[in-house]
Amino acid sequence: MLTFSAISKTYYQPDGDIQVLRQADLHLPAGQTAALLGESGCGKSTLLHLAAGLDQPDSGQIMIHDQCASDFSDRQWNHLRRETLSLVFQQYHLVPTLSVLDNLLLQARLANRLNPGLQQHLIDRLGLAPLLGRLPHQLSGGQQQRVAIGRVLMHQPRLILADEPTGNLDEATSHSVMELFTTLVKETGSSLLMVTHSQVMANYLDHQWLLQAGQITPVLARDT
Amino acid sequence: MKRQFKQTIWVFVTLISHYRRHPGQALTMALGLISGVALWAAVQLINDHARSSYAEADQLLGAEARYWIRSDNGLGVAVADYIGLRRAGFEQLYPVIETQVRDAQGRSVAIIATDLLALPVGNGIGSSARYSNPFGASSWLALIQADYQAWYPQSLASQLGIEPGQQLVLASGERLPPALIQTQTQQGQRVFMDIAAAMAILGTDTFSYLGVGRLSKLEHLRLAALLPATLKLVTNHQALDLAQVTESLHTHLTALGLLSFAVGLFIVFNAVRFSLLARQGTLTTLREMGISLGMLSIAIIAESLLWTLFGTSLGLVMGYALSQLLLPAMAMSLQSLYAAELGSLIGIQPEQVLLAFGLSLTGVVLALTLPLWLRARESIRRQRDTAAQWQQDQRGIRWLALVAMGLLGLAAVLYPWMASIEQGFLMLALLMFGGALLLPWLVLGLIKTCARLLPKHQWLLRWAVSDALAQLPHLRIALMALLLTLTANIGVTTLVGSFRTALGDWLETRLAADIYVQSESLDIEAIKQAAWLSGYSPRIGLDLRWQNRPTSIRGLDLTAPDTVDMVLVQDHGVLDHGGQNQQAQDQALQAWRAGDSPVIPILANEQVQYLAHTPLGSIIELPTPAGPRRFKIVGYVHDYGNSSLAFYLPGETVMAHWPAAELLGAGLWLSEPAAQIDPDWLSSRLSALGVKPGQWVLQGEIKRISFAIFDRTFAITATLNTLTLLVAGLSLLTALLAVHQQRLPEYAHWRSMGVNFSQWLQIAALPLLLMLAVTLLLALPLGFSLSWLLINKLNVIAFGWTMPLLWSWWPLAKLGILTLGIVLTTLTVSVVRVRQTLPTAIKQLAGDSG
Ligand SMILES: Nc1ncnc2c1ncn2[C@@H]1O[C@H](COP(=O)(O)OP(=O)(O)O)[C@@H](O)[C@H]1O
Ligand SMILES: [Mg+2]
Repeated sequence: MLTFSAISKTYYQPDGDIQVLRQADLHLPAGQTAALLGESGCGKSTLLHLAAGLDQPDSGQIMIHDQCASDFSDRQWNHLRRETLSLVFQQYHLVPTLSVLDNLLLQARLANRLNPGLQQHLIDRLGLAPLLGRLPHQLSGGQQQRVAIGRVLMHQPRLILADEPTGNLDEATSHSVMELFTTLVKETGSSLLMVTHSQVMANYLDHQWLLQAGQITPVLARDT
Repeated sequence: MKRQFKQTIWVFVTLISHYRRHPGQALTMALGLISGVALWAAVQLINDHARSSYAEADQLLGAEARYWIRSDNGLGVAVADYIGLRRAGFEQLYPVIETQVRDAQGRSVAIIATDLLALPVGNGIGSSARYSNPFGASSWLALIQADYQAWYPQSLASQLGIEPGQQLVLASGERLPPALIQTQTQQGQRVFMDIAAAMAILGTDTFSYLGVGRLSKLEHLRLAALLPATLKLVTNHQALDLAQVTESLHTHLTALGLLSFAVGLFIVFNAVRFSLLARQGTLTTLREMGISLGMLSIAIIAESLLWTLFGTSLGLVMGYALSQLLLPAMAMSLQSLYAAELGSLIGIQPEQVLLAFGLSLTGVVLALTLPLWLRARESIRRQRDTAAQWQQDQRGIRWLALVAMGLLGLAAVLYPWMASIEQGFLMLALLMFGGALLLPWLVLGLIKTCARLLPKHQWLLRWAVSDALAQLPHLRIALMALLLTLTANIGVTTLVGSFRTALGDWLETRLAADIYVQSESLDIEAIKQAAWLSGYSPRIGLDLRWQNRPTSIRGLDLTAPDTVDMVLVQDHGVLDHGGQNQQAQDQALQAWRAGDSPVIPILANEQVQYLAHTPLGSIIELPTPAGPRRFKIVGYVHDYGNSSLAFYLPGETVMAHWPAAELLGAGLWLSEPAAQIDPDWLSSRLSALGVKPGQWVLQGEIKRISFAIFDRTFAITATLNTLTLLVAGLSLLTALLAVHQQRLPEYAHWRSMGVNFSQWLQIAALPLLLMLAVTLLLALPLGFSLSWLLINKLNVIAFGWTMPLLWSWWPLAKLGILTLGIVLTTLTVSVVRVRQTLPTAIKQLAGDSG
């Protein structure tokens, strides 16, 4: 689903260049989930943004869903993001003026991919039914992240890229959110690449990779 | 203590560093401040300058006189009476001759003369001529010694083509003393000379009137008792003075100046709020780092002081430049309307500079205290919570609406008591600010209703509408400023439009004749015989004082075409206007023509009704040589642009009561259409009738000049209005740029979710257009009320004339288009800015989320 071949990325700074990725390789098969572990500042977010086309690598090749995306134009990336990809952030990035229901449906609407059956199912599973009429600021952090996850799943993307989705949540909430998230990802058949610094959260996923000194090495592969 | 100081400096530097990274924001903030101050300062400078010019002119005109001694039959004051009074110990008396003469070319020249030696010392021209005259004592001596001097203001001299030392030849053949061109602006459009010279040249042995300086109560009684029966001691209410006459015009301008200041205040408020808002994160971080609110406030206040200093200084410079640009038009208008002279150089007074700083500082402080106070009351934690901020904002909007209702209610309660110009402007201010404060509430209501009513599947539209909730807190002040300027624009445009139409209609009926002649030496019999003329209407009359105001009595020829078609003030159907309906008018005119009722019917101009407060049907007394005579006012006529009172009677009636009334001129009707007449042929024919070149003017020419004066007078208003609108547009731009800059991360995230550009544009633009629509819609009724007040109340109070309110759509449409253009431009600029910065923002999603 997602393949990095020999990807390099350097931030050129006046006070010294930061080489974040050096010829990094990675392969995430379709329908599988992987955690990208690593210390803070090692380049996890950078990698995720390269995968989402929010930034461009210096060299190397990115394949997404059998398409070579490394030399996509802005327009092509937009199309890809709209149709195939979804991002989940640590800050939930809900649209504060829209109700919970409208936030849930937003991305699916943008991609013109509403599915009433899935909608009902996700609402039930995420336990959002009593909250649908509220505005985001009337929810707790865990509830907000459940809405953000629901929004991504409603979109039915082939690939979900998540950057520390539980980073803002307490431990108990983190566990319940992760459990729901991974289960639902499996149900909908999406692939998931999740960045985290927490080994505990990584355990919810099929693969665990470590990003260190610009290279990616598998730590654990579970057969599914 | 020292540590605290250092800390404060650090906080200050941290805050200021914001502008290094966002020079655009610094620029817009500066622009807002500067343009606000500049507009206000320009109007203020012009007004102050004009006022001080009048004050100088007043000194010469004798405003220092507490009383006048005048004859009640218009015959003047005999020299013997004057000498008698001075001998009786009244040293504070001085003689004045004020008259109009014609020069050899038939041009009318105003002359004012007094006895410099008799003027009360330390007063008026007495002191300025004797002790502070720029020409020195020698020129003062030259003025009062044979062969005397005639002082001309610069503009009059060039108008008459007089060179220094030259002697103006009068129609009588007499010569005025050698000319001295006055660079001081002290005498209006008149020639000033010594009274002895004037008496010799004019061949008169009476004074026009006597000026009287300060009198004690006892002296006042003694003087009144001493006066001969024909002379009267009247208090100088300054009704004659330029300052008084032009006051209404300046009040209008002051109101405009205050409006631009109010708009400027909104803009400063806006700018300060944004600079705070844009640094909200930094502020909160500083608070989280243990910086006290007090220290933050000190740093912010220091920054505002810097801004005030910078913005006001530059604003004053710009305002000065602007005032220099506007002054010539203003000076010409004042000169043609009131014969008032303005100097050509504006000086800035220290008071004005202080006032400007004070005002913008007030704006900045007002803008700062509220947000700081609110901030002080809430926890640091809440400051990170934008949703909580909106909630607070919506509560604020409801409060504003309550205050607005209060203001509007107060206006409603005060309305019946409105009697003076100041009260009128208070009413306008209540109305406009009430409307402005109500605006956000209305917008909020509309947003909520739209969000509720839009069908569920219109999700993008609903999103766009609901996004207005996020934009409103940032845009509402700019919207209020826009509303204020739109309201003022609509109000003033309607006033000017109505006035122009009324003036046109009035000139049409009033100037029925083809040619107007001003000459005392008309050969009436020859005119009656001339085949190339189809009709004529002589005007006779005289000027006197009534109710202590300059008043003219005019005698009309009942058979003349324009008298036959005379139109009285119509009943506009507006509340308390004293107009009559058609039938009553016909009866009144009939009675006036017949003139045989026990009390003689008389017509008056509207100014008699509103400035002298004399209602229809009043019995009035006018002074005649045979003593006071009673007349009954049976109707009013429009008399736009006249600052004195006027009464109209049939010519014979005037001659019967005032034998001294003179032939002032005549209107002539041509047998052939005026357009087909050759001017040279006309000129020669008129000469044959005793009318010299320069003594006649074609009707079309008068109309052209009238409209030229009119348009010039209101050009200044239009310029100021447009400038204010542009400034309001600028503040909208600042606001939009700030909103988008602050929300850029949000937009970046939308983008990463697949929101494309056109969708984003809808979300960004639709709320703005919605808010604009509400603003325009509210501006209509407000502007209408404003023009209603201006036309039916303020205008009547100030000038004493009425006109029908005409609501025409074209200027409104133009204003709407202009506003839309401004808004679309600001929108485009901000959208382009977002397009430029969005890619970076998208990349920064990394930093934002990790
Ligand atoms: N836009 C940027 N410009 C320069 N350096 C950057 C930028 N974004 C990230 N970095 C640097 O690259 C490194 C990796 O950052 P990031 O990918 O956010 O790390 P992680 O997500 O693993 O914490 C960090 O050292 C960071 O300082
Ligand atoms: Mg990160």
